[in-house]
Amino acid sequence: MKDLKYRIFFEELLTDVKNELVDRALDDGKLALGYSCYYVPEVLLNLDGCFSVRMRAPGIADTAIATYYMSEKTCTYSRSLLERAIEGGFNFLSALISTETCGMMHRSHEHFEMLHLVSDVNDRFFVSHIDSPFVTKDYAVKHYERQLQKHVLDKLSDVYGVDTSEEKLLRAIEKHNEVCRVVTAIGDLRKQENPPITGYEFHLIELVSECCPQDLILPYLKETLEELQTRQPDETPWYRVRVVLGGGENDDPAFTKMIEDAGAFVVADRYCFGSLPGREEITVREGETALGAIARHYIDTNQCPRFMNPEKVQGRKQYLKQLADDYHADGLIVQQMKFCEYWEYERMYCQQVMEPDYGLPCMGIEKEYVNVSTGQLRTRFQAFVEALEIKKLQKKEG
Amino acid sequence: MKYYGGCDVGSTYTKAVILDETGKIAASTIQRSKINAAQSSRLAMDACVSQVPGLTSPEDLSYIVGTGYGRNRVPFAAENVSEISCHAMGVHVTDPTVQAIIDIGGQDVKGIAVAPDGTVKNFAMNDKCAAGTGRFYEAMARSFEMTLEEFSTLSLKAKSAIPITAQCTVFAESEVITLVGEGKAPEEIAAGIQMAVAKRCFVMAKKAGAVNHITLTGGCAKNAGLKKAIEKVLKIKVVELSTDPQLMGALGAAEFARRKGAAK
Repeated sequence: MKDLKYRIFFEELLTDVKNELVDRALDDGKLALGYSCYYVPEVLLNLDGCFSVRMRAPGIADTAIATYYMSEKTCTYSRSLLERAIEGGFNFLSALISTETCGMMHRSHEHFEMLHLVSDVNDRFFVSHIDSPFVTKDYAVKHYERQLQKHVLDKLSDVYGVDTSEEKLLRAIEKHNEVCRVVTAIGDLRKQENPPITGYEFHLIELVSECCPQDLILPYLKETLEELQTRQPDETPWYRVRVVLGGGENDDPAFTKMIEDAGAFVVADRYCFGSLPGREEITVREGETALGAIARHYIDTNQCPRFMNPEKVQGRKQYLKQLADDYHADGLIVQQMKFCEYWEYERMYCQQVMEPDYGLPCMGIEKEYVNVSTGQLRTRFQAFVEALEIKKLQKKEG
Repeated sequence: MKYYGGCDVGSTYTKAVILDETGKIAASTIQRSKINAAQSSRLAMDACVSQVPGLTSPEDLSYIVGTGYGRNRVPFAAENVSEISCHAMGVHVTDPTVQAIIDIGGQDVKGIAVAPDGTVKNFAMNDKCAAGTGRFYEAMARSFEMTLEEFSTLSLKAKSAIPITAQCTVFAESEVITLVGEGKAPEEIAAGIQMAVAKRCFVMAKKAGAVNHITLTGGCAKNAGLKKAIEKVLKIKVVELSTDPQLMGALGAAEFARRKGAAK
């Protein structure tokens, strides 16, 4: 396949959180608002005059200082963000919108305040913590909506004078939906038997859509969609099997590439930082406020194992199975960062039930934020591909 | 006669096997790995080829499959297959009754459940540290100033085992040095080390779904003290293979080569 026009550009944008497009938005006087979890609605951080930055720590070498503050029994994503902040890597942020989703991320973000990170260089910088619900009942959605009002909108309005009116919120939804439409149209190409896109390329696209100012990345995304619609794949599909990649935090396209190098096309990205969920359009129902619609949307679409009500627990497995059907996947890889308090259990659960109950072979992977033992990971992926291939053959032969 | 080759480039040893077209082992070798995987595979395959009359170089073989951590760097291989699939196949052609494998290699421990046709049913792998691997044993034997064989023999003499608490190779080594310094019986310390590794193997085997008819592969399978400890924790007798267990990866690769070469 001919290389994507913007592949290298997208890769370069992902080498640093403060990339070329972020710099351009900052030069325009916009406020950079950091977040690290799906429970923080990206759309709220893209009100006029603001832009969202999903926080990553690419190229982090070690987390020695963050480990001192947070202990080594915490996930390396939360520690890497703190380490990067200590290095000064998030000094461009105007605010960090946090959520009490998991204890580790909460601790990481608390340290931004305790160590006066960023606020040393920007005295208006603030960290705001949302209390997120564990259940999906109406009262929980209402509580979440109040939290979003108090800890996001009111704070932005009070500290920076951001206009958070209904009109502006509706405008932000419109803008957000446009990004979602383009990314979803690109992602849907993965359903084809011989698709014009790889999972790695889609991972890059999804990541830049989350880590760059929406206004500035959208033209590149649209052009990429046009390019993909006419891109000619090689005559024979390059992959041996197709897999859904599920699990927790994953902002490392090299991880997806490693899976694809073993012969497994990553057809669907159901993980934190992925597009499923993440790129569904937000609809405002009759009689609903924009904020009410946003709160409902993020609770309804949320696939985080933090939700323990039976409908959500079963729903998560059914969702994975549905993705496998829609994207014609042969298997499922569930990856989880070591010490992730929610995905550790969920990953084990998936490994136990997905094949016997849903007919979907599943492999579990425990990984770190920066993966160093790639040799062993490659062996595991390749062995899984070989096993799936044999299962496919046996199925074919009846 | 057509010949087929399998080359298993491991982190510590490189193994090669040549099969004839009937599946019979025509040659095999085990050599210490070099830092360069391509060089290791070349040396091992050359040594193997020299054992078969009529063959002069690896290129004379009809089909070669590479496996092991250096599988991508075997220059003369037509393709590569993961060592997990190769160990399963190697064991299957050696003894089709085996249902599960504990493979203890130089840098990882794997539990592999084998389907009746020799394919992988399930597998589990420790890939975070060297504890319980060949590297770990090398460090432990070094603490006793012994060879691996002497260390294994020593552990078999113990009447009881001193528990080793450290999971990490580095800390286990210092724990052993401390115990030796305290004057504890060396054979009991050695037996404690074997038991600690056996427990890790137990976890891998169970994670993969191993129940019965389990065998050991990899270089550490030759460690009689470890075998005894594994049999103790698993409460079963492990299946003895008629072929060197360290060759199973290369044998499996050669069998894949034979099947793929014949299907060409």
